Amino acid sequence: MESGDRGDKRLYPDYMSEILIVIFFSLGLVVLLSLLFPPPLGREISFFSAYQPAPEWYFLWLYQLVRYFSGQWAFIGNIIVPLSSLALLLSIPFIDHGTKVSRNMAIAAFALLFGSFLVLTLFPLIRI
Amino acid sequence: MGKAFDWIYSRFGIKESHKGLLKRTIPGNVNYSYCLGGMAFIFYCTLLISGMLLSSYYIPSEKEAFQSVVRIMRVANLGLLIRAIHKWTANLLMLSILLHTLRVFANKAYRPPRELNWIAGAFTLVLSFASGFTGYLLPWDQKAYWATVVGTNMIATIPLIGNSLLLLVRGGPEVTGFTLVRFYSLHVIWFPLLMNLLLWAHFHMIRKQGISGGL
Repeated sequence: MESGDRGDKRLYPDYMSEILIVIFFSLGLVVLLSLLFPPPLGREISFFSAYQPAPEWYFLWLYQLVRYFSGQWAFIGNIIVPLSSLALLLSIPFIDHGTKVSRNMAIAAFALLFGSFLVLTLFPLIRI
Repeated sequence: MGKAFDWIYSRFGIKESHKGLLKRTIPGNVNYSYCLGGMAFIFYCTLLISGMLLSSYYIPSEKEAFQSVVRIMRVANLGLLIRAIHKWTANLLMLSILLHTLRVFANKAYRPPRELNWIAGAFTLVLSFASGFTGYLLPWDQKAYWATVVGTNMIATIPLIGNSLLLLVRGGPEVTGFTLVRFYSLHVIWFPLLMNLLLWAHFHMIRKQGISGGL
């Protein structure tokens, strides 16, 4: 698998061993993590104690948006921003139509999406 | 091949169409980052199997959901491990899809004729988010409950139809057992079926168009 070598290979048998190794290590990683860190179950629901909801890490960006946009701006942060992010993601193949400038525009769009996801995910983790 | 296989094959006739699958050519310059999509698929299959096992113990009702998860973790054979596998695989699936998207973007593999496959991929990401959201409620514990209250409240901010949509999603004005059953149905039937369709489309287009030659 050296880069630069464009000679085509077949899935079987050329890549089969590598694919099997990737499958083996992916499943191995899952079992290892599961045995070492089984996820705990939370407390039973109580309607009497105040509770700060804790989402999964991949929803932290959305919760951060909910925090930033409240009151009359909630609709913007809760619905418009996520939906337009999706629209931007979907339109990437159409932003880049082959020229260098349009590729740079696609890079800017993708960097904006990925960058905001990372920043908004990291902020709650370091409590900003 | 053996007699039994020949007997099945003479009736089922599936060998030829799969030969192409194994023998198809792959560009020689791919590297290990091209495995990320395949890894996502491995994780998805693991989720299906561990999910089916969990569903044979889990009870989607307001009164019994939490206790049934406790039973899975303490009583059921290998229950603790299978639940852990389901949860960890879900996280790894998310991570591998995000990295796969990054790889595809870096390699410009969304360019014609692969625009539609980029779109199919983006919808698998959306569906994964939706599956993660609905699955999170199922243990019916404190943090899941309140996360769902906050998450579904977002729908109510839509002008005019927000409140009706919220009723539809929750199955009532509050997050209750009705919401739990609704989320369970979405999580175990609707979303996996849709995901299978999307993945079929995703892989079909990869087969038709081949793997992008990279940079």
